[in-house]
Amino acid sequence: MASISYRLRVLLAICLSLLFFSCTGKHSDSPHQVYDLVEGAAKDSTKLADSSGQVPPLQFVKSLTYEQRQGRDLYTKYCAICHGKEGKGDGFNAFNLDPKPRNFTDAKYMNALSDVRLVETINQGGRGVNRSSFMPSWGGRLNRQEIEYVVSFVRCLAKPEE
Amino acid sequence: MNKLRIYFAASSVVFLVVLAISPLKDFFREWKWYQYKYNDIIKELPQRVKPADIGIKQIWVRKLDNIDRCVTCHLGLKEKALREAKEPFRTHPHIYHDFEEFGCTVCHEGQGSATTYKESVGMVKYWDKPIFPKEYMEASCAKCHKQKQVPQAPVLTLGRKLIEESNCISCHKLEGYRKQWVPSLDGIGAKVNRTWLVKWLKNPKDYFSKTRMPNFLLTDEEANILSDFLMTFKSFSNDVVLEPLPKLLSTSSVYDPVGESERAKLIELGSTRFREARCISCHLINGKGGYVATELAKVASKVGAQWLYTYIKNPKRLQPGVEMPRYRFNESELAGVVAYMQSELVDYEMEELPQHSPDPAYYEKGLALFKKYNCSGCHAIGGMKKAEEMGPELTFVGSKMLYEIDFGKSNIEQTLPSYLFAKLKTPRAFSSAMKMPNYEFTDEEAQAITVALLGNTSEAIPEQFKIYPKPASTFAPQGEFGKLVDDLACFGCHTMFGRGRLVATDLTLEASQAQRNWIEGYFKIPYSLRPILTERMPNLFVSDSEIKVMGDYMERVFIADSLEREINVDEAKIAKGKFFYYGKFGCQACHQINLKGGYVGPALDKVGARLKQGWIFSWLKNPQAFKPESIEPNNNLTDEEAEALTAYLMTLK
Repeated sequence: MASISYRLRVLLAICLSLLFFSCTGKHSDSPHQVYDLVEGAAKDSTKLADSSGQVPPLQFVKSLTYEQRQGRDLYTKYCAICHGKEGKGDGFNAFNLDPKPRNFTDAKYMNALSDVRLVETINQGGRGVNRSSFMPSWGGRLNRQEIEYVVSFVRCLAKPEE
Repeated sequence: MNKLRIYFAASSVVFLVVLAISPLKDFFREWKWYQYKYNDIIKELPQRVKPADIGIKQIWVRKLDNIDRCVTCHLGLKEKALREAKEPFRTHPHIYHDFEEFGCTVCHEGQGSATTYKESVGMVKYWDKPIFPKEYMEASCAKCHKQKQVPQAPVLTLGRKLIEESNCISCHKLEGYRKQWVPSLDGIGAKVNRTWLVKWLKNPKDYFSKTRMPNFLLTDEEANILSDFLMTFKSFSNDVVLEPLPKLLSTSSVYDPVGESERAKLIELGSTRFREARCISCHLINGKGGYVATELAKVASKVGAQWLYTYIKNPKRLQPGVEMPRYRFNESELAGVVAYMQSELVDYEMEELPQHSPDPAYYEKGLALFKKYNCSGCHAIGGMKKAEEMGPELTFVGSKMLYEIDFGKSNIEQTLPSYLFAKLKTPRAFSSAMKMPNYEFTDEEAQAITVALLGNTSEAIPEQFKIYPKPASTFAPQGEFGKLVDDLACFGCHTMFGRGRLVATDLTLEASQAQRNWIEGYFKIPYSLRPILTERMPNLFVSDSEIKVMGDYMERVFIADSLEREINVDEAKIAKGKFFYYGKFGCQACHQINLKGGYVGPALDKVGARLKQGWIFSWLKNPQAFKPESIEPNNNLTDEEAEALTAYLMTLK
């Protein structure tokens, strides 16, 4: 009896240990928690360094995506002169123009426009879409990809629809 | 017997369970969870997206000998419908490289062959290259793109520009950067006063907010000793001596009514010339003006009148290599400008330092400080040899291992980017023995430099992928024109055949562009073609014979015959051109004619008397072919349209 129960115990122990090892795989917690953990860790470490007040922590200056950053640089070079740095239609050359440049922070107007329409307007200029010819056609200067970058930046100027 | 059966049954069950473990474990793989989740998500999308086959996926980059399994979970990289999806399914931003050709880890780092999140991100023991934070991604561009300007990587480009401007290479070994011109310190004792020098050494940005000189964080005692040491250097290089001041300028303490009124007239003249010479195109005055050269607002409290007089007369004699034009002032104009600067550009708040007796061993101690902080790394002085690079070599800084870095007692995140960032922001925070000065970089600047430094890796990239910068232009005009270009420091603002700065226009095709009469008139009375620019062409007061030399040279060298073009002009064509100008292309949005129109591009009044028609035509057809930086839109004009516009513009005389 004693020997049998010993065998049983050994078997049970092997089974349990195998079960245990098989359960320690990552599937036990949802992988999204892993992401949360990593992000949380990064936040904590900056907090720690903050409290020391000695060495500035790693700071992430830009929160725009790559496309938006590319778009921002192109926008600043080509568009901001008339449409304004923040897209309010108040660039320094806007003063000379009538009709005035479009205000990109006007969410009601901007959200009604499709990306395709924006790309076409930049590509062909005002004259291509029945608007003022003061908006030049940029299709010869910027390639399709660059125009799409600009659109992705212009999209973050107005508050998107909920 | 019965018991044995029970044991047999139990052990079979156990056996089956054990057998089931392996397939179960396989079933519960992390990446499978993501693939099922992906297939669930795409069902809810309005568009139809191809579901993922369950299984490991990988990109094998033969050329780089690299296998990346990231695409096992990152399933939506090419699906535009997943732009707004959460990671790991989000669409990859559209970049200029196809990731199927180059793989993932060549840019993102991390462990490509891993199939769990933690391992692939590289946050495990013995994996030295964890995944790059998003903000430092552009460092990877630097592995192959070795040029100064990488338009698709603006952060990297800014970082490289800052490294060059900050003259990092005078202390650190780093390939691919040019040393910047820095004033020589020969004769500094005869140039500045000690009060200013002490203040400057303590905090250079106090005097000149945009100076490239960093703050060496000297103590009061160190600043005193170093200034005493520097004040002993009273002789200039090449045996130049300061010129005696003209009588008009020497002020006497006795009140002299005749002299006073003459002096007032002199200052008046100087003030006019100071404005005409457009000093503020390059110099800053109280925060306004260009930032190519030093701040002038308080310059009379910095340098002596005699030095100023000798310097303006011929800048290159006192500071060899300086990019300041030699203005052709006559004696009284020169005296006037100096008198004006002496009366206006004074620091009224500067307090004289109390009398002090120098430390008896100030020379030895000063020399030691001078060597300690490697001042001769940037500044030339008394024939002293440039000290060897004293900072750590940065050639492969991006491949530094964590165990090679001394984080000191700081508790920042223990990664290479965070170390570099912190080092740039507070250079001496990690140990008190560090000597690196503080450049007062903003967060954005420090981040950009970190990116540029991280890109200096020892990773072996096949040569075929690397893109090297074009060799620097060696254009050096000879003869009379060459002397004038040197004397007037044209390269300080203009570019010719790829050499020089782009503050002002590129002169490479100037004679094809502008008419000779206009060029000659422009030297006489320069004006700004674009009303909004702050940097404007100064009046250099060049003589007629000098103008002829420059005009002749330009007509021979700065010209391309292919740009000549005959255009048959008739009334109908001009009318059409006018319609194109005002109607179809809306040129007046940016250009002015008779003060009407925008002020982005140059005003087009009298453009017919300024430009050549062949140039206007070619320019309109493709502006960026001549000036790649120009923001003029390329309207893809037909020959007919461009000819009509040219015909109209040529009538504006």
